[in-house]
Amino acid sequence: MIEWSEQHLAARDAFRRFIDAEIRPNIEDFEHNGVPPYDVLRKLIATFGIGEMQVASFRARLDKERAIAAGEAEPEADKGARGGSGAADAAAMQNLLVIELSRVCPGMVTAMGVSQGLCVGTLNSRGTLDQRAKYVPELLTMEKVGAWAITEPGSGSDAFGSMMSTCRRDGDGYVLNGSKTFITNGPYADTVIFICKLDDGDTPPDKRQVLSFILDRGMEGLTQSRPLRKMGQHSSPTGELFLEDVRVGPERLLGESEKLSYRSGARDTFSSERSGTSSIALGIVQECMELSIDYARNRVQFGQPIGQFQLIQQKLAKMEVARMNIQNMIFRQIELRKQGKGMSFAEASACKLYSAQACMEVALEAVQLFGGNGYMAEYRVEQLCRDAKVLQIYAGTDEIQTSQIARDLLAE
Amino acid sequence: MKILVPVKRVCDPDNANKVKVSDDGSSVTSDGLEWKPNPFDEYAVEAGLRLNENAPKNEKLGETVVVSFGASDVVQTMRQTLAMGADRGILVQADDAELDSMVVARALKSLVDAEQPDLVLMGKQAVDGDSNAAGQMLAEMLGWPMATFAMNIATDDGGKTLTVGREVDTGVLTLKVTLPAVVTVDLRIVAPDAVSNGVTPADHKYNDGARYASLKGIMQAKKKKIDQKKLGDLGIDTGLTTTYPKFELPPARTGSCEFVETVDELVDKLHNEAKVL
Ligand SMILES: Cc1cc2nc3c(=O)[nH]c(=O)nc-3n(C[C@H](O)[C@H](O)[C@H](O)COP(=O)(O)OP(=O)(O)OC[C@H]3O[C@@H](n4cnc5c(N)ncnc54)[C@H](O)[C@@H]3O)c2cc1C
Repeated sequence: MIEWSEQHLAARDAFRRFIDAEIRPNIEDFEHNGVPPYDVLRKLIATFGIGEMQVASFRARLDKERAIAAGEAEPEADKGARGGSGAADAAAMQNLLVIELSRVCPGMVTAMGVSQGLCVGTLNSRGTLDQRAKYVPELLTMEKVGAWAITEPGSGSDAFGSMMSTCRRDGDGYVLNGSKTFITNGPYADTVIFICKLDDGDTPPDKRQVLSFILDRGMEGLTQSRPLRKMGQHSSPTGELFLEDVRVGPERLLGESEKLSYRSGARDTFSSERSGTSSIALGIVQECMELSIDYARNRVQFGQPIGQFQLIQQKLAKMEVARMNIQNMIFRQIELRKQGKGMSFAEASACKLYSAQACMEVALEAVQLFGGNGYMAEYRVEQLCRDAKVLQIYAGTDEIQTSQIARDLLAE
Repeated sequence: MKILVPVKRVCDPDNANKVKVSDDGSSVTSDGLEWKPNPFDEYAVEAGLRLNENAPKNEKLGETVVVSFGASDVVQTMRQTLAMGADRGILVQADDAELDSMVVARALKSLVDAEQPDLVLMGKQAVDGDSNAAGQMLAEMLGWPMATFAMNIATDDGGKTLTVGREVDTGVLTLKVTLPAVVTVDLRIVAPDAVSNGVTPADHKYNDGARYASLKGIMQAKKKKIDQKKLGDLGIDTGLTTTYPKFELPPARTGSCEFVETVDELVDKLHNEAKVL
């Protein structure tokens, strides 16, 4: 893939129209007045028939898996055939939606991505058929909001090593304890994936099995904090979760088996989370660029538009290089999807590292190009710059991406 | 019912400040402009789709056919209306310079003769030329009843007539037209309860405005049929009756901001300089 198709662009234009009508005029509410993003996201998903389409294909897949689980043979045609142009088109449109939203409220993508990507992704890769059937459809339409909780006050980059949250066996169920922080959608989530260690009284913490549970809003012992105040991503509510002796039945253990360790396979979740970052970065870069070009043409100093100064031109040229590179990474992801493949962990990490850094650089240059106006909230680049910073922190910090890429290169 | 909706491609009104006039003033150059369906035509498509569906059940009750004129890349604009839900398209290939309201009306008449729709639903005017003429001319040529500036439409008598509210200077003029008919629509035709077809329940609330194409609709639009015909092959009189002797841009605005001390000074300036009082 080297460019968007006519159909992709038609979808992009439709997204743009919706966003210009429903989100842009209300940026102030979403970014500064604490209006949660969920109603408008729900409307967006319904308007374009996205939820409906995803639920239909989810149900079809689930039925197929049920048939296979019941002993039916998998149709030859389905084996390994997860790609195709349909899958690529779906991926392209998903990317375009993220790009267009990120031009306006990147935080909304974080909120939507955690619910539909991390939470649904984890349910699909680890849940039993019954667990998936129960929780996934309402998350896909965003009738329910999902959260995914691994980070704790004392454990971030070293997510598994320093994890303190525990589950203890209790009859045929479990008792959960611990606290989580920086949890996207935490304040409003209806469905929470809670990741913790199995404390069986004997095994030392570093050897304990890592398990995950599905929690519902309002369960006894579960407290969801108010949104934390933060630097950017204001349209994405982030909070803390506190669990005090939350009692759950075995049907809430993801996969309904203690053998299913979260340590293995977490890479898949991280991989898809990481590749998603490129689209957010591209949206921010495109918006910054468009605004910067316009400003460079029209802002006059020393009797000429500032775009005539070579130092300003250099900023614009750098932005274009970043835009092209990130876009090509996204095209590669889509092309791989067409072939039924995904990115390797190291490749996804490399894309995330580059996209996050390039995006931050572009956003800072945009602020610089706007001068004092760039520092004022009235001008869009101020928000985009604050929003960009998190790309270097969540889904694995720059430092963690760097060391994982290198570890992969050095592996024998 | 079968509904024919002519859709004109116009330059995106948001791009309007990029419109340029050729050096000799004989034409408007369209290089680098983005295109959109004429908004009033998009509203006509929306009204047509509402007339032809059972909305809550997502069922079609009739066929909605869109018609456009222009170069072959106009197909892209047509696909946007097919993605909204129109069933198929007819593109009459022609140069912009070969078209005026009269030629378009004659061509539409020949398509109506061939397609035999129950209703031709049109935008009241195109936002580029603002002529507001083709619909009226077409109705005259067909000898069909006509209702212009429709702000609401309801089907009556088992689909044999339409009750149309026309937006006129003094208020709303309601009239009844027997089908087949020509109706041109105004912007309020896309209000949530502007169209009723007796099938979609009266309490069904549409969103305000023309619908967004769903992703499924966008995918399906690619497969919908667009018949291409040549203007010359329609067998109509292609002589122009309107020509444009010269184009020129409006004078550039002298956008200056000035603070005045007194109301008298303001009135004086508005009267003598700006000449708006
Ligand atoms: C807006 C936002 C939303 C978030 N959403 C979620 C969510 O939904 N769910 C969730 O579970 N978490 C979420 N997080 C948490 C996020 O994933 C963590 O913040 C991130 O992984 C970093 O962990 P930490 O904050 O504890 O930093 P630390 O791990 O304490 O890192 C501090 C610094 O040390 C560096 N560092 C750490 N280890 C190494 C090393 N081995 N080598 C070199 N340098 C190192 C880091 O790169 C960083 O610069 C979110 C965070 C933010 C800011």
